[in-house]
Amino acid sequence: MLLKLQKRTLVISQIIGYALTLLIGVTIILVTTQFFFDIKPLLFKQTNVFKSKSAIISKNISIFKTIDKEKIYFTNEEIIDLKNQPFIKNISNFNSATFKINAYSKKTDSVPAFYTDLFFESIPDKYIDVETDEWKWNNSLDFIPIIIPENYLNLYNFGFAESQGLPVLSKNTITQIEFNIQISGNHKSKDYKSKIVGFSNKVNSILVPEEFLSWANKEYGRINENKISRILIEFNNPTDKTILKYFNENNYSINKDKLEFSKLVFFFKAALIFVFIIAIIIIVLSVSFVLLSLNLILQKNKELLLNLYNIGYSYKRISKFYQVIISSITLISIITGLIISNLIRQYYLTKIVDLFDFTVTHNMTYMFGLLLIILLVLVYNMLLIRNIKKIVIP
Amino acid sequence: MQIELKNIKPTYMSDAEISASDVYLRENVLFVKSEKYLIKANSGHGKTSILNFIYGSSTNFDGQINYNKITYENTFDLRKTKISYVFQDFKLFPNLTVFENIQLKNTLTNYKTDEEIDSLIKQVLLGHKKDSLVKKLSLGQKQRVAILRALCQPFEFLLLDEPFSHLDKENIKIISNIINQEIKKQNASLIMTSLGEAYFFDFDKVLNL
Repeated sequence: MLLKLQKRTLVISQIIGYALTLLIGVTIILVTTQFFFDIKPLLFKQTNVFKSKSAIISKNISIFKTIDKEKIYFTNEEIIDLKNQPFIKNISNFNSATFKINAYSKKTDSVPAFYTDLFFESIPDKYIDVETDEWKWNNSLDFIPIIIPENYLNLYNFGFAESQGLPVLSKNTITQIEFNIQISGNHKSKDYKSKIVGFSNKVNSILVPEEFLSWANKEYGRINENKISRILIEFNNPTDKTILKYFNENNYSINKDKLEFSKLVFFFKAALIFVFIIAIIIIVLSVSFVLLSLNLILQKNKELLLNLYNIGYSYKRISKFYQVIISSITLISIITGLIISNLIRQYYLTKIVDLFDFTVTHNMTYMFGLLLIILLVLVYNMLLIRNIKKIVIP
Repeated sequence: MQIELKNIKPTYMSDAEISASDVYLRENVLFVKSEKYLIKANSGHGKTSILNFIYGSSTNFDGQINYNKITYENTFDLRKTKISYVFQDFKLFPNLTVFENIQLKNTLTNYKTDEEIDSLIKQVLLGHKKDSLVKKLSLGQKQRVAILRALCQPFEFLLLDEPFSHLDKENIKIISNIINQEIKKQNASLIMTSLGEAYFFDFDKVLNL
């Protein structure tokens, strides 16, 4: 009888509306949260995908700096400030050659005769992304190994050679070609044999071993001319968002995909947080909606509830029906949300596992779902009992 | 159980309005077991109020009410087994049938069987209306349903608020017989309010409000 009486007080459309909005909110929140934890190792831990932790910075070249070239160099204060940044683990300077360099070759079957001015730079070996046994220098051997950016080769093969009708060169071919280097300064000069021993994807410069450049700068270089225009930085955590902020504030430019990745991570996280907040709003709205709807039902049927209380039904017994209804609907919605979010997870996990070397994280949706069920059911039951008590015992 | 009223006065009435009352502002008004009381007054003198105070559905009074010398903050627990009440406005559920309305109360204590309820419905000449929705009944029919419902529980006091206001003499006779039997069976007391003299019960005490 009581059931029949109370069933008539419900508004089915409002209950369906609540169930659907809660389902949508819960599904989105479970998917975004689990997705975040699933891809967290890809974003924050150093996996094979993003293993580099270093980048090269220089100052942005503006119209004023083309006039006053001094402004492209880093001052000592700026270098100290950089070193003091918490996200920086280590910094190294680019050493530049301060003497004159020429590369030349006599005409052979495979190489035409050429003569060109060159520049050299060096960085510590540990930052070089080329592994070769030939990367060493010894004063007794008149040989200088050189590393050039892979971009240079691409520029030649796909740009210069194409337009000038010259043959294209493979990496292997180039590393076979020997040519001569003449270095001069301080009224003396010396000739060396040289070869390109590797191609760098990371450093955009013509590199020689640091040991050679230090020696040659002393022997042939102009004194006090070693100014620093580029710095190699090693980060503690390349995804730290303060990195971009710091470099933008100081007008430094970074030529590294790493920082692009940092930007990407920032936007990705922002998007995820945005979706998460939207989901929270949906859930809050659906919960508010159902509480409002229940309150309206209770107010509309105030007399019925009062009469029940007057003939001997306790407020707890009167509340029971509404508690069971709202708890069951919440339970059904969240369980459906759990099933849907796990199906979505399975789908994206198969895609991610295909693309990356990836270990699947622990599934946390069940824990979140359970917490949400406990939280909502507790809140509803407490509020229902309180509101019904307030109506029947004014 | 006995009910004791001590200096009771509705908060909305002034002392002047109730100076001649046998109940209000009296130091000690006692309702004891197995007695029948009639509380008489004209309209607007607080007949319904006094029953509501005793039943605990209104607390708009000054003074004190004791049940077996105990003062309850909430008398709800007395409603299932100690005090039954026929409300003046019936407090029936219009969307339930006659039988369902009575059963709704009876399920709380399972005091009467379905057959006993059936028999009572027939006795008050509502057998043909047993499965009709209460909203389709006349006031007199509703009044009979409300009285039957109040009898479907154990009680030590039966409160009747102008219970026969919509009934003819024949129905009053039938109903008062049923009430008398039930009171006797339960060895209970009766407190009834009325506009004037009521001859259907042998009252032990008549109180003017």
